[in-house]
Amino acid sequence: MSDAIISGRRSRQLGGTVLLAPATLVVLIMLAAPLALLVRYSFNRFSPTDLMIAAVTPENYVRFFTDPFYLEVMRTTIGVALLSTVLCLILGLPIGWRLSRMRPPWRGIFIFAMIMPLFVSSTVRALGWMILFARGGVLDLGSSYFFQRHFEMQFSSTGVVIGIVSANLPYMVLMAQSVFAGIDDRLSEAARGLGAAPVRAFWRVIWPLAIPGIAIATIMCLILGMNAYATPILLGGPRFQMMAPLVYWEFGTNNNWPFASALAFVLMATTLLLAVVAHTLVPRRYRA
Amino acid sequence: MTARSLPSNRRDSLARQILEVGGRWGAHAALVIGIVAIFLPLVLTLYISFFDETLVTFPPRGYTLNWYARIPEEFGKPIWTSLRIAVVAVFFALLVGVPAGIGLSRYRFPGRGLISTLLLAPLTVPGIAMGLGIYVFAIWVQLSFGMRLAGSLGLMILAHLLITLPWVVRLCLASLTNHDRSTEDAAASLGASPLMVIWRVTLPAMVPGIVAGGLFAFIVSFENLEMTIFLINPGTNTLPNAVLQHLTYSTDPLIAAVAVIQMAIVGAALLLLDRLVRLDQVAS
Repeated sequence: MSDAIISGRRSRQLGGTVLLAPATLVVLIMLAAPLALLVRYSFNRFSPTDLMIAAVTPENYVRFFTDPFYLEVMRTTIGVALLSTVLCLILGLPIGWRLSRMRPPWRGIFIFAMIMPLFVSSTVRALGWMILFARGGVLDLGSSYFFQRHFEMQFSSTGVVIGIVSANLPYMVLMAQSVFAGIDDRLSEAARGLGAAPVRAFWRVIWPLAIPGIAIATIMCLILGMNAYATPILLGGPRFQMMAPLVYWEFGTNNNWPFASALAFVLMATTLLLAVVAHTLVPRRYRA
Repeated sequence: MTARSLPSNRRDSLARQILEVGGRWGAHAALVIGIVAIFLPLVLTLYISFFDETLVTFPPRGYTLNWYARIPEEFGKPIWTSLRIAVVAVFFALLVGVPAGIGLSRYRFPGRGLISTLLLAPLTVPGIAMGLGIYVFAIWVQLSFGMRLAGSLGLMILAHLLITLPWVVRLCLASLTNHDRSTEDAAASLGASPLMVIWRVTLPAMVPGIVAGGLFAFIVSFENLEMTIFLINPGTNTLPNAVLQHLTYSTDPLIAAVAVIQMAIVGAALLLLDRLVRLDQVAS
């Protein structure tokens, strides 16, 4: 009897290993090993002639944290990510709420319409804004026609923030609609029956229930904003710099792998730090 | 309701009403701005793609479908490359991911949480870091073992396998959460071997999840840019990168038509998905 149990457990272990090993290997080889090698390379030295020299030196990180140019790029990146995330919250919550209270055929149609842009490449989504904002674009032509003046974006970051909000907003909307849809209407009815105005009923009853889901979407928007690549290139203009394009530039144009690796890690670490800070801002009892 | 009808609360209720109306209008404004922000660029792209002009000029001389006819000649190669990469990557992602989904849903063992986190990690690691890492790793393997990897289609497919795998695992897991294990036990007690149980009982129950995972994997691979740019060589340019390169020097109706085709492919895949799974719960 006990033999059968043991052999059963052993065959189950074997089954689990056989089923899970290939996928785990793929992720270990294609993700864990490359990232580990990146850490190692970020401590190497760069030389214009030999490209990379094996070393253990913090100079790439020192260079990043002492050069005002790179710090400015990081500041821009964080600023754009934070601003676009706040805008996603402000715009996404009302849309999510309305979606969650829509009648069946429309609700499905709107949800579908929100999901579609999520999976379209960032270049495709930037294209529409380029047509609007660019010199010779829609706004420029309109402005030249009506005011005899060229349209010029005041700050190059404005277009980038708009592009990122436009790309990330569906995440917030979908998450908000799914948490709001899970909240029973009778809860807010009860609050209003007890004398709370709708606004108060929302903030005191529904919002606390929605916080964990909204926090996840907020962190997602932050991560995507910090790592935006095509949007800053296409909408920010030639002098606008964010971290992700900078990593590619150091890698592709300067061939400076050690510094590109260090930049990639600083970007990942900062993103993680922001996500953790955003997480701790959520009151403990509301965390997912 | 009761508070509003009491006279002693009238002033209070007026303030509340103002707040309420303000809140409602604010919410309406946010709704309109948000919807415009999401859909205006897509609609504008669709509109521009019909322009009978070589550059975007208003008003256009007329409207034409010619730009769509020119896509095969101008973008045929990158579209073909992207399709090939996506199809092969999806095939391997299903081959590796479906068993992993079964394994994760069926067995409880120490380290299960770790493995599931690991398998879903490619969803949250930035594409830039993955691309750079995979490229330098390929060069390292090349220098250490003499395998030519960098710039090859094989490496690209392996990298796309990595980013598509979590979608397959996730959708397979989701399709098994409500799966009744007793049918498997019944099959086993009637003498079916473990493999036979999986093949005849578990897999058929998973079909919607498998197809959905495959479709998501296809879209994710077909549209990926951030990781892919590190692995491209001139012979294997993908569609999203070809679009990016074109956009850095020109915005014209041709590229708008290419963008519309991309949207159409994604839209068609999602329409299929909509029949298989609850999109709002699995997509984000």
